[in-house]
Amino acid sequence: MLGALAGVLVLSALGVLLSKDNFYSALFMTLTLVMVATVYALFDLQPLFVLIVFVFVGVIGIVTVALAATYRAMPERQFAWIWCILVLITAVILGFSIFTHTLHGISSPIGFTLQGFLKPGSEYQLLFLFLTSLVILLFLSVIKIYRGEES
Amino acid sequence: MPAINLMSISVLYATSFAILLLGFLTALSSKDLIRLLIALELMFGAVFMSLIPLFAVAANSAFAASIIVIFTSAGELLVLIAAIVIQDRRVKNILVRDITAGGDKL
Repeated sequence: MLGALAGVLVLSALGVLLSKDNFYSALFMTLTLVMVATVYALFDLQPLFVLIVFVFVGVIGIVTVALAATYRAMPERQFAWIWCILVLITAVILGFSIFTHTLHGISSPIGFTLQGFLKPGSEYQLLFLFLTSLVILLFLSVIKIYRGEES
Repeated sequence: MPAINLMSISVLYATSFAILLLGFLTALSSKDLIRLLIALELMFGAVFMSLIPLFAVAANSAFAASIIVIFTSAGELLVLIAAIVIQDRRVKNILVRDITAGGDKL
């Protein structure tokens, strides 16, 4: 089941690269993200499934599809082959390190519960503070860029 | 409760790497900002895939990391939408070649 999902994931991601129309690329990207959420559901990580489907796909994916539909155009292909060499070297190094690393005998259950995460004294408060600061900083940056552009 | 074993770890990391690679290739071949945005979202999908094995070791930290990834992705979307709007106002298109600041030239 995981192998089949992984296959669909890679194929839909390939669709993003091969499709010349941004609108179809955005649709393929949304399909890829839904499949990622399905993998989470396969491992019984329901809170993450909901977060990814509703926030990641439901908001970000749809906004991207809408943007792609608004600025719909057939782009020319632009590709620098020199980057392939760098990507290939990285892939070889990563593949070699994964295969030489001893991972045999690993089989641990996934025991995540939302109640355990939200209990007092957990990482939740720190995360909430960090994310609030991040959102405020982001909004301030965007407003600054936008005002600078207008003046 | 589902268990995560060596086989599933291998499949997850291989898929994650494949999606990341496709995201990089899409970003490299992107001609406009929308395609760049799509490529970046695809890379975030790869990050999500690589986070799954962490749930077997440190579930709470993995969940926190996932939420940070979602927020970072939303922030990146916000910044790129602002960039698209500004670029469209300034040069009346959203082509990457018209961006004069940042980036490397090969």
